Amino acid sequence: MASQRRKSRSESLTLRYAILGGWALFCLMPVLWFLSIGFRPRTEIITAQPIYWPTFSLDAFWMIFEDWPMWKYLRNSVLAIIGSVLIDLVLAIPAAYSLSRYTYRGRDDIGFYILSTRMMAPAIVAIPIFFLFRNAGLLDSVWALMLIYAAINLSFVTWIIRSYMMDIPKELEDAAKTDGAGDLRILWEIIIPAILPGIITASVIAMIFAINEFLFTLLIASTPNAYTMSVALANFTGGSDGLIYNAIALVAFLAFVPVFIVVVAIQKHLSRGLTMGAVKG
Amino acid sequence: MKNSNHLSRRSFLKSSSAAGLAVGGTSWGAQAFADGHLPDPQSVLDEISINKYVREDYRALYGMSDDKPIWDSNKDWIRTVDWEAVRSELAGTTVRFAIGAADAESAAEGLVPFEKLSGIKVELVPIPDDSFYDKALAEFISGNASFDALQFFSPWLGDFAAPGFLASLDDYADKWGLPLDDFYDTYRLNYGFFNGKMYGIPFDCDIQMVHVRKGYMETLLGGAVDKVNSIPTYDELIRVSGELNKIEPGVSGVGMMAAPGFWSTYTWEHIAAQAGMMLFDENWEPIFNGDAGMKGLEIILALSKNANEGHAGAGWPENRAAWLGGQVATNISWQDSGTQAMRPDQSQIVDDFVTIYEPRIEGGRFAPPNIAGSTSCVAASAQNPEGAFLMLAFLTTASIMAMNEANANGVAPGYKSVLQNTNLQEVSQPAKVWGDSLEHAWCSPRLPGAFPIEQAIGNEINRAVVGQISAKEALDNAAAAVKQIMSSNGFYQGNDPVDYAAAAPGLYVGEGKDLPF
Amino acid sequence: MSTTNLSATGAAQSAPVRTYRRRSKRLKKWFPYLLVAPAVIYLMMITLYPGIYAIVQSFYAVKFGPWQPIGFGNYERLWGDYQFWGALWNTFVMGSIALTLQCVIALALAFYAYRDPWVKGWRIIFLVPMLFMPSAVAFIYKLFFLDARVFADLLIRIGLIDGNIAFQSSIWMSRSILILADVWQWTPFLFIIFVAALQGQDEEVEEAARLDGASWWSIFWNISLPMMKPVIAVALILRGIDITTMFTNVFIITKGGPAFGTETISYFIYRTGFKFFDFGYASSASVIMLILTIIIAQLVVKRAFVSAKE
Repeated sequence: MASQRRKSRSESLTLRYAILGGWALFCLMPVLWFLSIGFRPRTEIITAQPIYWPTFSLDAFWMIFEDWPMWKYLRNSVLAIIGSVLIDLVLAIPAAYSLSRYTYRGRDDIGFYILSTRMMAPAIVAIPIFFLFRNAGLLDSVWALMLIYAAINLSFVTWIIRSYMMDIPKELEDAAKTDGAGDLRILWEIIIPAILPGIITASVIAMIFAINEFLFTLLIASTPNAYTMSVALANFTGGSDGLIYNAIALVAFLAFVPVFIVVVAIQKHLSRGLTMGAVKG
Repeated sequence: MKNSNHLSRRSFLKSSSAAGLAVGGTSWGAQAFADGHLPDPQSVLDEISINKYVREDYRALYGMSDDKPIWDSNKDWIRTVDWEAVRSELAGTTVRFAIGAADAESAAEGLVPFEKLSGIKVELVPIPDDSFYDKALAEFISGNASFDALQFFSPWLGDFAAPGFLASLDDYADKWGLPLDDFYDTYRLNYGFFNGKMYGIPFDCDIQMVHVRKGYMETLLGGAVDKVNSIPTYDELIRVSGELNKIEPGVSGVGMMAAPGFWSTYTWEHIAAQAGMMLFDENWEPIFNGDAGMKGLEIILALSKNANEGHAGAGWPENRAAWLGGQVATNISWQDSGTQAMRPDQSQIVDDFVTIYEPRIEGGRFAPPNIAGSTSCVAASAQNPEGAFLMLAFLTTASIMAMNEANANGVAPGYKSVLQNTNLQEVSQPAKVWGDSLEHAWCSPRLPGAFPIEQAIGNEINRAVVGQISAKEALDNAAAAVKQIMSSNGFYQGNDPVDYAAAAPGLYVGEGKDLPF
Repeated sequence: MSTTNLSATGAAQSAPVRTYRRRSKRLKKWFPYLLVAPAVIYLMMITLYPGIYAIVQSFYAVKFGPWQPIGFGNYERLWGDYQFWGALWNTFVMGSIALTLQCVIALALAFYAYRDPWVKGWRIIFLVPMLFMPSAVAFIYKLFFLDARVFADLLIRIGLIDGNIAFQSSIWMSRSILILADVWQWTPFLFIIFVAALQGQDEEVEEAARLDGASWWSIFWNISLPMMKPVIAVALILRGIDITTMFTNVFIITKGGPAFGTETISYFIYRTGFKFFDFGYASSASVIMLILTIIIAQLVVKRAFVSAKE
């Protein structure tokens, strides 16, 4: 049992905690510092000598919501994310079912093709996508973002779900089949409920990748109609004010908190999700 | 306007709405055309005042009020033009104005007085700031641009005017009495004219200057800073920056922008111009890799030893932050460094700095550089060119521009009547030096292909600053790259898109004039 | 309605039933393809179609006007373009250093953490950097090292140095910032995977080794690591692919400078396409990147994933 491991002591306890603790500090210090940047007045951010004990200020907070269409950025992020994940699920679940439950010629090649799109660097298709969307009049719309995010995430959503589907014992299906159920009904009523954790994991990871997406969003979005939080950060230049770091910091945390909560909730499945099923958590 | 990532209108329009105009705006807006009855022009003009447009904290700080006007009403176009005539001809028409994305809301408010005065409705067409150049070009090329009026980075004037995408404004300027002579020559010629015809109204009128920290300088000099003589040459600046480097922890001797791309180009043009550099000869052959250009780059390399850590990656936002935060003892940047540093809500060095006259170079000339800036133009395919012209004339009028300067939002006036106004000089520290300097300004020609040219030069200069190549190599590479860009834009084939004789007067306006000191 | 005579075994003889079975057999045969088709078609629209578009466009000079055909002109220019080769080199150098560091650190952390009673807590803490938006992380590092000079100031206070550190005047220093930002943000990615793999280790084997007197370290070295090889391979491939697309950090922190020393291939494509508007040229670079991707996919990924599949 894992508990046995936990009980056994290592000869280098101090070393272990030094290393783990050290890295934990390395992880958290920049975060805490950045938080302090978010809650201080602008003039205290860039100074001859850095100010380590700033005065508290909510300037950035008001600025984000008054001077910028923050609600629009939020809205765009949320819409694009939810939309793209829905598209992905609709496409991926049948595809994963096909890849996991059937044998047919070309199955492995198809599976590999889907997998390989995960490897497609955005820069490879950035220029054509820009032209195609421009010609279709889709530039600067949340729809375009939805389509792109869905495409980026489809491969691993498919593979994650496939991995969870492979776990379901065949007996479950066979029982339903002898009852006369068709394949689609089996899918809908038995398999999907059984792999709910997989669907959730895939959706969460897809959402994170969508929130983070930068290059395509940068090229496609050009007005607050379509800016997401990720790209809006890079544009917080406030006209003649230069970079507004305290606002950037607050927006960063705004996006961080929900993601953190959700990821902690599914952390058991995280490893399996990130490796598309290759490594079970 | 320092950065093709944002157009400075945004700041003006933002500040005007912040100043309380918004309150008036909303009530005006609702009413504007509801009953088809336009208000008395004078009442609208009275609202365009310091009390309404300038920030309350700045007004209190400097004791500003409409009793101490910062502009000359006789030169303020909105107060001299006949609005009734405008209304009789154009009321009820519409103008489509290309506006940077984030500006749309505040722009709408700032234009309400115009709509009231003229009866012309303004439709805003949001165009993304950071792809304004290619978006605008693409629309022009399609032959059917979705906007009538636009404001953009002035170096692009060549790109837009040469292929005939802009409408000429000479007739309108005459008809409606635009006070062209009130603009400093360098702005009028370079932002407004192309091949002898007028295409633009100067909007954000920039100049690069040298600013120094009073406290440190006084310690070094043992006395007050003399704007003419404390740092009379660039060699002196090199020496001073060396002395002041690390004078306090975290403070570097000089701040400058040497990031790849046009930032480096601008810094280099600034200094090389003082060495007498011209970019091209009369046949448009690049000659900037000659002695003068080399001298400029050598000075940059020398200064770079005393410059702040990030200078090789600094563009305007970084440089501005470093200066206002007190990280540098001297700064080579735009004029707004001298104004914004006065404002306590933006700056850590209030009252501790002064803007000096441009340092000279032995064998060169006094040629403070007119760099960047933005201009306002009308599309050749405009549906309502005259209305567009009037709207642009409104936005660029002296009083509004003066109040932009008072608000320290980086949008700069180019009017003699404004910069020489003593009340304005009280709220804008660099104004006097700036105004004097403009009579001797250097400027780069507006050419098609200016955008990639500036990038190509700047990339090479950055390589030299970082030490990857020598100064000579950098400038030679740059010259080769520029030649290539120029020829792909139609030069050297017997029919240059820009007539050198037409452009020449604007390149250096100080010929033969006495120094202001 | 038929004259079928259904026997107890369900065998049917009449024509309508046979038709039904034939139709259902055909449907059954195509059914899995139908299920997977929408996903494949969608992906082709966003990858294959643009890929072909890029290939075609790479044979033209494209700016704002009509496309001019120039054959292999773009590729010839690419061949002689020091910035292009520099971008490939930068991507390789920064990517491999960052990846190596991440891997070593993640393995070390996983080694110490997986038997720790507080492993769940460590995991949550270590996850934090990964959950920020990459653009936010880039700003953190830009502010810390460059704009606010906090790093230099801390070193000065400790007394290690006494003056300015010109990060952006040195190619390697700028690269180090990007590498550090990547390591900070993405080590957790590897850590999570490695910890999961270690926790999945067969305990009896571990117990037996412990009883034999083996130290934790030698267990790790001789048992765990070999067992983890496929996992490490998969994790490194995934992370490696993402590293080669490094863009956000470059865009926000260094913009490819100084002197193009931190320009990755993605940034090169972006810059040529969207700052110089040389779309045909940028497309040709995209095509080269595509070819490299396909090669790597066939050689490396297929093997690793196919073996990791059930």
